[in-house]
Amino acid sequence: MKDEALLKEPFPVVFRRWMTSAGGITILLTIVVAIIAAIDAGPFIIVNTVVTGGMWALLSLGLSLVFGVMNIPNFAHGEFFLIGSLTAYFTFNPLRLYLKENPSPFLSAIAPLLGIFLAFFVGALLGVILEKLIFSPLRKRSRDQWVMNSFLLTVGISVVIINSVQLTWGANFKGIPNYWNVDPLDFLGVNLSVDRLAAFLLAVVTLIVFWYFMRRTQTGRAVRAVAQDETGALMVGINLNYILSLTMALSAGLAAMAGASLLFIFPAYPTAGLKPLYVAWYVVILVGLGNVSAAVVGGFIVALLQTLTSFYVGTGWEDVIPTAVIIIMLIFKPSGLFGSEVKGIQER
Amino acid sequence: MENNAQAALSDGATGNGRFTALLNATGISPTGLTMIIILLVLPFIPPFNQEHILRWLVSAALLGAQAIAFDFTTGYINVVNFGFAAFLGVGAYTSGLLAVNLGLSPWVGIFVGAIPAALIGFLTGLLTLRLRGIFAAVMAWFVGLALLGLTRNLVDLTRGPMGLSTPTLLNTSSNRPYFYIILAMMLITYIVLRKIIGSRYGLAFRAIGQNMDAARASGINPTYYRVFNFTVQCLFAGWLGGFYAHYFGILTPQLMLTARTVEVLAIAYIGGRGSLWGGAAVAFPFIFLIEALRSNLTELPGLHLVIYGLLLVLVMIFYPGGFAAFYKRAVAWVKGLRDR
Amino acid sequence: MLEVKNLNAGYGFLQVLWDVSLKIEKGEFIALVGPNGAGKSTTLKSIAGLVTPKSGDILFKGEAIGGTPANLTCRMGISFVSESLNLFTNMSIYENLLLGAYTIEDKQEQLDTIDFVFNLFPRLKSRRNQLAGTLSGGERKMLAIARGIMSKPSLLMVDEPSLGLAPKLTLNVFDALETLRQGGMTILLVEQNVNTTLHITDRGYVLEQGQIVLEGPSKELLENDHVKKAFLGI
Repeated sequence: MKDEALLKEPFPVVFRRWMTSAGGITILLTIVVAIIAAIDAGPFIIVNTVVTGGMWALLSLGLSLVFGVMNIPNFAHGEFFLIGSLTAYFTFNPLRLYLKENPSPFLSAIAPLLGIFLAFFVGALLGVILEKLIFSPLRKRSRDQWVMNSFLLTVGISVVIINSVQLTWGANFKGIPNYWNVDPLDFLGVNLSVDRLAAFLLAVVTLIVFWYFMRRTQTGRAVRAVAQDETGALMVGINLNYILSLTMALSAGLAAMAGASLLFIFPAYPTAGLKPLYVAWYVVILVGLGNVSAAVVGGFIVALLQTLTSFYVGTGWEDVIPTAVIIIMLIFKPSGLFGSEVKGIQER
Repeated sequence: MENNAQAALSDGATGNGRFTALLNATGISPTGLTMIIILLVLPFIPPFNQEHILRWLVSAALLGAQAIAFDFTTGYINVVNFGFAAFLGVGAYTSGLLAVNLGLSPWVGIFVGAIPAALIGFLTGLLTLRLRGIFAAVMAWFVGLALLGLTRNLVDLTRGPMGLSTPTLLNTSSNRPYFYIILAMMLITYIVLRKIIGSRYGLAFRAIGQNMDAARASGINPTYYRVFNFTVQCLFAGWLGGFYAHYFGILTPQLMLTARTVEVLAIAYIGGRGSLWGGAAVAFPFIFLIEALRSNLTELPGLHLVIYGLLLVLVMIFYPGGFAAFYKRAVAWVKGLRDR
Repeated sequence: MLEVKNLNAGYGFLQVLWDVSLKIEKGEFIALVGPNGAGKSTTLKSIAGLVTPKSGDILFKGEAIGGTPANLTCRMGISFVSESLNLFTNMSIYENLLLGAYTIEDKQEQLDTIDFVFNLFPRLKSRRNQLAGTLSGGERKMLAIARGIMSKPSLLMVDEPSLGLAPKLTLNVFDALETLRQGGMTILLVEQNVNTTLHITDRGYVLEQGQIVLEGPSKELLENDHVKKAFLGI
């Protein structure tokens, strides 16, 4: 590691080059816009952006990962979000009622986390089941037109999950008033509820753990290897089936975790996954298909875009304006703001 | 059905050649013709002559026609128009609004409505079809959601979720004439699209669908043909939307929901990818099954959609040719029995 | 160590190999030569587990490995450096090497092997943090071979290392293979560059149209009339 530093370009050079790339300009622009909006409308813009942005990042990252590694354009990704919020609801709600009868400060503090982590595992389990039960058989049968076939499979899965949830638990909203029943904190003159703060911190911690896993562990490296060259991965002894299941589990788990963490904003109901699905796809196309780290940044950018749209233009327009933005982007830079990491966005 | 058409052609050389040749030119096989004749007399045979069952027949034919148009794109150039319902909605709203605000006759409006749908389809295609197929699917979806958002929000124009009352095509309370109209529209959709598939355009579509590189190497411009295909599909979606507007007499943004696209997609796939007719053949028994389920199991809403989804998944994994492939195999089997 | 008996293999309906048989003893340096499309790569891929044989046996250390997936043959000690290299282009040289040692659990062993590989290819050491996709053709070949030996294989199979390389770099690569063989590694080398290959290997097989037409010590093959006519242009 001694000669490492000598070979690297000086930091200012790298920084300047990066700042003039499309990605750098986007980030800079986002920050500037956020600050201007915060001055104009109030700091709540930034608070809202950051809180939902963190969860959108978890969601988009999973979607991007599955597309990059498994080549599956997952249209059931929102359903993992839904399963997560359902799991959290059914874990946390009984606990909440129990705590009303038997108050316990420790359990009150820990109960929400219990639901959220359980959601991660239930989501991950569902991901593995889907991989083993549905994608793996299709992969064995034929890999012709894989992207379109798997896309249709996920559409079918989505329909089945949404309507099974409706059949089982009905169409009513299952929400909670809050996770932590404490007074909101005062942050930059904004009332910041502990739930929101926790959601943000949870997202940050998860992102760091995820980053460490992907960059610094052999298994994480293997996941990236499969995304870049499947044959090469086989040749160095990586068990493809294991990595594919793991990827699906991670992606589904993170989405479920996002759903669980945001239960206090987005209650669980059969089609609750539609909106997160849209957001995740939006982010992934915007930043570049399969570009996992850019998806994290994209989560925050899109959260800002949503916050601004609903504040300045009004609710109900949040589907229209982002679509216009993405059309403009596709005209000028179809590979996405940060560039796609999938081999060739042009049709082969 | 293709096989049959070819068989019919060889028979035609000896028998009543002119009729089979005509039939062949429309792309309808003798079996298909039999089915059409059955459908033509069905509205007079009990229990199918009841109004609520006639309504099912109309829905089935409308769904079948949509499935034909849908398969024209997915089955040949491997692009999924995930905003299909929205393009249908554009046709419906255009025709409906023209009739309500300008007093344009619905009979003209149906055709006029197809134009903006095709135009939006053309632009979407132009933007995305030079990229991988998934871009077109996702962007068509985004455009569809944006159109849905617009119809919901432009309340002054579309009356939003309150619904837009539109004049009907006919001044009758009977569903029977509507059934004949939509059946005719379904057949026209099939014949026109079959004609295109039979032309050199169809060859290009197949080449692109199977191997983009090889197609490019043999001088085919994939983007041109894909955009052409996509636009034609949207044109027909808009046209069928016009019928929707002037049959139901009320338009709500609901008709543009992604769930509607999924319904068409599922039928087209279960019917058989790349067959065109498969979706139409499957639509009739399906609508009957599902309506029967829906009316008998009202306490289980959404069960029919679970069946849709499960069938789609099962067909995709285990029987990718769908009903059309099953039919082909069955015909071959029967022939095998006969020849033995 | 490796024995291939009457191997038939191909892709779909297209059969490429017809009753191919090879035998490699421990420590040997074997050449597999032949014209384009003779089936050399298919032979290697069948042994590595990337192609499933239609019939015939592949025995490695006495165990039948025909049809075993590539990740398992790698664990058994077969390493394959393909013609297209299959590098992880968005990862650094160092990460590519670490992944090459995926089957080795011991951290220290991994680092020792990396040191060994860096000694073999000093050029890679000086660029360890560069992305594999940005390397030159010669450096990529070196990296692919380096990654191939990271799993400490007992059999190394290299497909066309000289393809598209300048003569000087080709010699570098061949020197490295020579060093490895002196370290006791068994190597199966596929090459079109028949002359050089037969000069450095012990024995050779000549594959034409999916069949072994000649085999023997490399020196004898160099003198063989057919080889002279077909490959050496004499």
